[in-house]
Amino acid sequence: MHEFSVTSQVVKSVLEDAERQRAKKVLEVHLVIGKLTLLGIEQLRFSYGMLVENTTMKGSKLFIELKEGKVKCDKCGYEGAINFKDDPIYHISFPTLTCPECGSSVKIIEGRECLIKSIKMEI
Amino acid sequence: MSSVSRVIRAEEGEIYDIELVKDLLKANEEIAIENKKLLSRYGVKAIDVMGSIGTGKTALIEQLVRKLKEKYRIAAIAGDLTTTIDADLIAKHGVEVIQINTGKECHLDANLVRKALSRMDLDEIDLLFIENVGNLICPAEFPLGSDKRVVVISLTEGPNIVVKHPFVFMAADIVVINKMDLVEVLGVDVDRLVRQVSEINPKVSVIKTSCKNGTGIMDLIRALGL
Repeated sequence: MHEFSVTSQVVKSVLEDAERQRAKKVLEVHLVIGKLTLLGIEQLRFSYGMLVENTTMKGSKLFIELKEGKVKCDKCGYEGAINFKDDPIYHISFPTLTCPECGSSVKIIEGRECLIKSIKMEI
Repeated sequence: MSSVSRVIRAEEGEIYDIELVKDLLKANEEIAIENKKLLSRYGVKAIDVMGSIGTGKTALIEQLVRKLKEKYRIAAIAGDLTTTIDADLIAKHGVEVIQINTGKECHLDANLVRKALSRMDLDEIDLLFIENVGNLICPAEFPLGSDKRVVVISLTEGPNIVVKHPFVFMAADIVVINKMDLVEVLGVDVDRLVRQVSEINPKVSVIKTSCKNGTGIMDLIRALGL
Protein backbone atom coordinates (compact mmCIF):
# COMPACT_ATOMS: atom_id res chain seq x y z
CA MET A 1 0.00 0.00 0.00
CA HIS A 2 2.90 2.33 0.72
CA GLU A 3 4.93 1.26 -2.32
CA PHE A 4 4.48 4.65 -3.94
CA SER A 5 5.96 6.56 -1.00
CA VAL A 6 8.77 4.05 -0.48
CA THR A 7 9.60 4.13 -4.20
CA SER A 8 9.53 7.94 -4.09
CA GLN A 9 12.23 7.76 -1.42
CA VAL A 10 14.23 5.32 -3.54
CA VAL A 11 14.04 7.59 -6.59
CA LYS A 12 14.86 10.67 -4.52
CA SER A 13 17.93 8.96 -3.02
CA VAL A 14 19.16 7.77 -6.41
CA LEU A 15 18.66 11.19 -8.00
CA GLU A 16 20.57 12.84 -5.16
CA ASP A 17 23.45 10.48 -5.73
CA ALA A 18 23.33 10.92 -9.50
CA GLU A 19 23.51 14.67 -9.02
CA ARG A 20 26.42 14.34 -6.60
CA GLN A 21 28.30 12.31 -9.23
CA ARG A 22 27.16 14.71 -11.98
CA ALA A 23 25.75 11.76 -13.91
CA LYS A 24 24.26 12.23 -17.37
CA LYS A 25 22.03 9.25 -17.02
CA VAL A 26 21.16 6.52 -14.52
CA LEU A 27 21.34 3.12 -16.23
CA GLU A 28 20.57 0.59 -13.50
CA VAL A 29 19.23 0.55 -9.96
CA HIS A 30 19.65 -2.57 -7.82
CA LEU A 31 17.36 -3.05 -4.85
CA VAL A 32 17.17 -5.75 -2.22
CA ILE A 33 13.69 -6.28 -0.80
CA GLY A 34 13.06 -8.58 2.15
CA LYS A 35 10.21 -11.04 1.78
CA LEU A 36 8.89 -10.09 5.23
CA THR A 37 8.35 -6.46 4.28
CA LEU A 38 4.87 -5.47 3.19
CA LEU A 39 6.08 -4.19 -0.17
CA GLY A 40 4.48 -5.55 -3.31
CA ILE A 41 7.01 -5.90 -6.14
CA GLU A 42 4.44 -5.33 -8.87
CA GLN A 43 3.29 -2.05 -7.29
CA LEU A 44 6.87 -1.03 -6.64
CA ARG A 45 7.81 -1.50 -10.31
CA PHE A 46 4.70 0.37 -11.44
CA SER A 47 5.50 3.31 -9.13
CA TYR A 48 9.11 3.33 -10.30
CA GLY A 49 8.04 3.62 -13.95
CA MET A 50 5.89 6.64 -13.16
CA LEU A 51 8.34 8.36 -10.85
CA VAL A 52 11.38 8.26 -13.14
CA GLU A 53 9.59 10.05 -16.00
CA ASN A 54 11.29 13.37 -16.84
CA THR A 55 14.34 12.59 -14.73
CA THR A 56 17.84 11.32 -15.49
CA MET A 57 16.55 7.93 -14.34
CA LYS A 58 14.14 7.60 -17.26
CA GLY A 59 14.71 4.32 -19.08
CA SER A 60 16.86 2.91 -16.27
CA LYS A 61 16.55 -0.78 -15.48
CA LEU A 62 15.27 -1.75 -12.05
CA PHE A 63 16.71 -4.96 -10.63
CA ILE A 64 15.04 -6.37 -7.53
CA GLU A 65 16.65 -9.13 -5.53
CA LEU A 66 14.26 -10.75 -3.07
CA LYS A 67 15.72 -11.74 0.26
CA GLU A 68 14.28 -14.65 2.22
CA GLY A 69 12.99 -14.09 5.74
CA LYS A 70 14.96 -15.55 8.61
CA VAL A 71 14.00 -15.96 12.25
CA LYS A 72 15.97 -16.84 15.37
CA CYS A 73 14.88 -18.58 18.53
CA ASP A 74 16.63 -17.43 21.70
CA LYS A 75 15.49 -20.52 23.57
CA CYS A 76 16.68 -23.42 21.37
CA GLY A 77 18.94 -21.55 18.97
CA TYR A 78 16.93 -22.34 15.81
CA GLU A 79 17.90 -20.06 12.95
CA GLY A 80 16.15 -20.37 9.61
CA ALA A 81 12.94 -19.97 7.66
CA ILE A 82 9.82 -18.59 9.28
CA ASN A 83 7.26 -21.18 10.30
CA PHE A 84 3.93 -21.43 8.49
CA LYS A 85 0.84 -22.72 10.20
CA ASP A 86 -1.91 -24.45 8.23
CA ASP A 87 -5.54 -24.28 9.15
CA PRO A 88 -6.99 -27.18 7.12
CA ILE A 89 -10.61 -26.37 8.00
CA TYR A 90 -10.39 -22.98 6.35
CA HIS A 91 -7.71 -23.88 3.76
CA ILE A 92 -5.43 -21.12 4.91
CA SER A 93 -1.77 -20.93 5.71
CA PHE A 94 -0.24 -18.05 7.66
CA PRO A 95 3.23 -17.14 8.96
CA THR A 96 3.84 -17.37 12.69
CA LEU A 97 6.49 -16.26 15.16
CA THR A 98 6.38 -19.70 16.77
CA CYS A 99 9.64 -21.67 16.65
CA PRO A 100 9.29 -24.73 14.36
CA GLU A 101 11.70 -26.65 16.64
CA CYS A 102 10.65 -25.90 20.22
CA GLY A 103 7.41 -23.91 19.94
CA SER A 104 8.54 -20.83 21.86
CA SER A 105 8.63 -17.41 20.25
CA VAL A 106 11.18 -16.32 17.64
CA LYS A 107 12.28 -12.94 16.38
CA ILE A 108 12.78 -11.83 12.80
CA ILE A 109 16.46 -11.26 11.96
CA GLU A 110 16.34 -11.02 8.16
CA GLY A 111 13.77 -10.26 5.50
CA ARG A 112 12.79 -6.71 6.49
CA GLU A 113 15.22 -5.00 4.11
CA CYS A 114 14.45 -2.29 1.61
CA LEU A 115 17.93 -1.63 0.41
CA ILE A 116 19.37 0.40 -2.46
CA LYS A 117 22.35 -1.83 -3.10
CA SER A 118 23.94 -0.17 -6.10
CA ILE A 119 23.38 2.21 -8.97
CA LYS A 120 25.00 2.20 -12.39
CA MET A 121 25.24 5.57 -14.08
CA GLU A 122 26.79 7.26 -17.07
CA ILE A 123 28.96 10.16 -16.08
CA MET B 1 20.11 8.00 7.24
CA SER B 2 23.04 5.62 7.27
CA SER B 3 24.77 5.51 3.94
CA VAL B 4 28.10 4.18 2.87
CA SER B 5 29.03 5.16 -0.63
CA ARG B 6 32.01 4.21 -2.72
CA VAL B 7 32.66 4.72 -6.39
CA ILE B 8 34.08 1.94 -8.53
CA ARG B 9 35.22 2.48 -12.08
CA ALA B 10 33.51 -0.03 -14.37
CA GLU B 11 34.90 -1.53 -17.60
CA GLU B 12 33.46 0.97 -20.04
CA GLY B 13 35.47 4.04 -19.16
CA GLU B 14 32.47 6.25 -18.69
CA ILE B 15 30.11 4.08 -16.72
CA TYR B 16 30.25 4.19 -12.96
CA ASP B 17 28.87 1.70 -10.52
CA ILE B 18 27.99 3.28 -7.22
CA GLU B 19 27.71 0.90 -4.33
CA LEU B 20 25.27 2.27 -1.86
CA VAL B 21 24.06 0.70 1.28
CA LYS B 22 20.97 2.66 2.03
CA ASP B 23 18.12 0.93 3.77
CA LEU B 24 14.98 3.03 3.68
CA LEU B 25 13.03 1.07 6.26
CA LYS B 26 16.08 0.99 8.51
CA ALA B 27 16.14 4.79 8.31
CA ASN B 28 12.65 4.85 9.86
CA GLU B 29 13.76 2.44 12.58
CA GLU B 30 16.71 4.67 13.42
CA ILE B 31 14.42 7.69 13.89
CA ALA B 32 12.08 5.49 15.97
CA ILE B 33 14.99 4.65 18.28
CA GLU B 34 15.76 8.37 18.64
CA ASN B 35 12.10 9.05 19.46
CA LYS B 36 12.18 6.34 22.11
CA LYS B 37 15.32 7.79 23.68
CA LEU B 38 13.81 11.26 23.70
CA LEU B 39 10.60 10.00 25.33
CA SER B 40 12.43 8.01 27.96
CA ARG B 41 14.65 10.99 28.80
CA TYR B 42 11.46 12.86 29.72
CA GLY B 43 9.96 9.82 31.44
CA VAL B 44 7.11 9.63 28.93
CA LYS B 45 5.54 6.27 28.21
CA ALA B 46 4.17 6.04 24.65
CA ILE B 47 1.52 3.65 23.36
CA ASP B 48 1.00 3.19 19.60
CA VAL B 49 -2.59 2.18 18.80
CA MET B 50 -3.06 0.48 15.42
CA GLY B 51 -6.06 -1.16 13.73
CA SER B 52 -8.50 -0.91 10.83
CA ILE B 53 -10.94 1.94 10.37
CA GLY B 54 -13.88 1.69 12.75
CA THR B 55 -12.53 -0.88 15.21
CA GLY B 56 -12.72 1.57 18.08
CA LYS B 57 -9.20 2.95 18.40
CA THR B 58 -10.43 6.42 19.36
CA ALA B 59 -13.11 5.02 21.68
CA LEU B 60 -10.47 2.87 23.36
CA ILE B 61 -8.14 5.84 23.89
CA GLU B 62 -11.08 7.81 25.29
CA GLN B 63 -11.83 5.00 27.76
CA LEU B 64 -8.18 4.81 28.81
CA VAL B 65 -7.95 8.60 29.22
CA ARG B 66 -11.12 8.60 31.34
CA LYS B 67 -9.65 5.98 33.70
CA LEU B 68 -6.07 7.27 33.78
CA LYS B 69 -6.25 11.05 33.68
CA GLU B 70 -6.13 11.41 37.48
CA LYS B 71 -3.00 9.28 37.65
CA TYR B 72 -1.02 10.55 34.64
CA ARG B 73 -0.60 13.75 32.68
CA ILE B 74 -1.75 12.51 29.27
CA ALA B 75 -1.32 13.74 25.71
CA ALA B 76 -2.24 12.19 22.37
CA ILE B 77 -1.15 12.26 18.77
CA ALA B 78 -3.92 11.44 16.31
CA GLY B 79 -3.05 10.37 12.80
CA ASP B 80 -5.56 10.55 9.98
CA LEU B 81 -5.49 11.40 6.31
CA THR B 82 -7.73 14.42 6.83
CA THR B 83 -9.99 15.99 9.49
CA THR B 84 -9.56 16.51 13.23
CA ILE B 85 -12.61 14.44 14.22
CA ASP B 86 -10.67 11.90 16.31
CA ALA B 87 -8.42 14.54 17.82
CA ASP B 88 -11.49 16.55 18.86
CA LEU B 89 -13.08 13.50 20.49
CA ILE B 90 -9.97 12.85 22.58
CA ALA B 91 -9.43 16.54 23.37
CA LYS B 92 -12.91 16.68 24.95
CA HIS B 93 -11.40 14.81 27.91
CA GLY B 94 -9.10 17.72 28.64
CA VAL B 95 -5.85 16.32 27.27
CA GLU B 96 -3.49 17.92 24.78
CA VAL B 97 -3.89 16.43 21.29
CA ILE B 98 -1.72 16.99 18.25
CA GLN B 99 -3.28 16.05 14.94
CA ILE B 100 -1.08 14.69 12.19
CA ASN B 101 -2.84 14.80 8.85
CA THR B 102 -0.85 12.52 6.61
CA GLY B 103 -2.62 13.79 3.47
CA LYS B 104 -2.49 10.60 1.47
CA GLU B 105 -0.13 8.46 3.46
CA CYS B 106 -1.54 5.21 4.82
CA HIS B 107 0.43 5.13 8.09
CA LEU B 108 2.30 7.29 10.59
CA ASP B 109 6.07 7.09 10.41
CA ALA B 110 8.77 7.87 12.94
CA ASN B 111 9.66 11.14 11.22
CA LEU B 112 6.09 12.50 11.46
CA VAL B 113 5.99 11.51 15.13
CA ARG B 114 9.34 13.20 15.72
CA LYS B 115 7.86 16.40 14.26
CA ALA B 116 4.81 16.11 16.52
CA LEU B 117 7.03 15.51 19.57
CA SER B 118 9.03 18.63 18.81
CA ARG B 119 5.82 20.63 19.20
CA MET B 120 4.93 19.10 22.57
CA ASP B 121 6.08 20.10 26.02
CA LEU B 122 7.37 16.68 27.07
CA ASP B 123 8.13 17.94 30.58
CA GLU B 124 4.42 18.32 31.10
CA ILE B 125 3.32 14.78 30.24
CA ASP B 126 3.83 11.20 31.50
CA LEU B 127 1.75 9.21 29.06
CA LEU B 128 1.31 9.59 25.31
CA PHE B 129 -1.22 7.79 23.13
CA ILE B 130 -0.42 7.68 19.42
CA GLU B 131 -3.44 6.80 17.33
CA ASN B 132 -2.17 5.47 14.03
CA VAL B 133 -3.97 5.84 10.69
CA GLY B 134 -6.85 3.34 10.35
CA ASN B 135 -5.14 0.53 8.46
CA LEU B 136 -4.30 -3.06 9.37
CA ILE B 137 -1.34 -3.43 7.02
CA CYS B 138 1.07 -0.55 6.58
CA PRO B 139 1.58 0.75 10.16
CA ALA B 140 3.18 -2.61 11.02
CA GLU B 141 6.14 -1.74 8.83
CA PHE B 142 6.88 1.55 10.59
CA PRO B 143 7.78 1.48 14.29
CA LEU B 144 7.39 4.93 15.87
CA GLY B 145 9.43 4.63 19.04
CA SER B 146 6.59 3.68 21.40
CA ASP B 147 6.97 1.43 24.45
CA LYS B 148 4.06 -0.74 23.46
CA ARG B 149 2.26 -1.36 20.18
CA VAL B 150 -1.42 -2.23 20.53
CA VAL B 151 -3.52 -3.64 17.68
CA VAL B 152 -7.28 -3.18 17.98
CA ILE B 153 -9.55 -5.55 16.08
CA SER B 154 -13.29 -5.90 16.54
CA LEU B 155 -15.95 -8.55 16.18
CA THR B 156 -17.56 -6.82 13.22
CA GLU B 157 -14.55 -7.44 10.98
CA GLY B 158 -15.35 -11.04 10.13
CA PRO B 159 -13.98 -14.37 11.36
CA ASN B 160 -10.70 -14.29 9.38
CA ILE B 161 -9.43 -10.81 10.14
CA VAL B 162 -6.41 -12.15 12.06
CA VAL B 163 -5.04 -14.73 9.63
CA LYS B 164 -5.60 -12.41 6.68
CA HIS B 165 -3.32 -9.77 8.20
CA PRO B 166 -0.64 -11.73 10.08
CA PHE B 167 2.13 -9.14 9.87
CA VAL B 168 0.55 -6.46 12.04
CA PHE B 169 0.11 -9.03 14.82
CA MET B 170 3.80 -9.89 14.62
CA ALA B 171 4.56 -6.24 15.34
CA ALA B 172 2.16 -6.09 18.31
CA ASP B 173 2.70 -6.39 22.07
CA ILE B 174 -1.00 -6.38 22.92
CA VAL B 175 -4.04 -7.25 20.82
CA VAL B 176 -7.43 -5.88 21.83
CA ILE B 177 -10.60 -7.61 20.62
CA ASN B 178 -13.20 -4.87 20.86
CA LYS B 179 -17.01 -4.73 20.60
CA MET B 180 -17.43 -7.74 22.89
CA ASP B 181 -20.92 -6.41 23.69
CA LEU B 182 -21.93 -7.70 20.21
CA VAL B 183 -20.69 -11.24 20.69
CA GLU B 184 -24.15 -12.81 21.12
CA VAL B 185 -25.68 -11.01 18.15
CA LEU B 186 -22.83 -11.75 15.78
CA GLY B 187 -22.08 -15.27 16.97
CA VAL B 188 -18.33 -14.82 16.42
CA ASP B 189 -16.00 -17.58 17.63
CA VAL B 190 -13.82 -15.35 19.84
CA ASP B 191 -11.71 -18.25 21.16
CA ARG B 192 -10.64 -18.99 17.60
CA LEU B 193 -9.55 -15.36 17.08
CA VAL B 194 -7.56 -15.48 20.33
CA ARG B 195 -5.96 -18.77 19.32
CA GLN B 196 -4.96 -17.42 15.91
CA VAL B 197 -3.37 -14.31 17.42
CA SER B 198 -1.36 -16.49 19.82
CA GLU B 199 -0.31 -18.78 16.99
CA ILE B 200 1.00 -15.87 14.94
CA ASN B 201 2.73 -14.23 17.90
CA PRO B 202 3.01 -16.33 21.06
CA LYS B 203 4.38 -13.37 23.05
CA VAL B 204 1.34 -11.15 22.60
CA SER B 205 -1.35 -10.59 25.28
CA VAL B 206 -4.94 -10.65 24.07
CA ILE B 207 -7.52 -8.51 25.90
CA LYS B 208 -11.27 -8.56 25.21
CA THR B 209 -13.00 -5.22 25.60
CA SER B 210 -16.16 -3.30 24.97
CA CYS B 211 -15.58 0.42 24.71
CA LYS B 212 -19.33 0.87 24.84
CA ASN B 213 -19.77 -0.54 28.37
CA GLY B 214 -16.19 -0.41 29.64
CA THR B 215 -15.62 -4.19 29.85
CA GLY B 216 -11.97 -5.20 29.89
CA ILE B 217 -10.52 -1.66 30.09
CA MET B 218 -8.95 -2.37 33.50
CA ASP B 219 -7.43 -5.59 32.11
CA LEU B 220 -5.90 -3.57 29.30
CA ILE B 221 -4.53 -1.00 31.75
CA ARG B 222 -2.84 -3.83 33.66
CA ALA B 223 -1.46 -5.36 30.46
CA LEU B 224 -0.02 -1.96 29.53
CA GLY B 225 1.64 -1.79 32.95
CA LEU B 226 -0.12 1.52 33.75
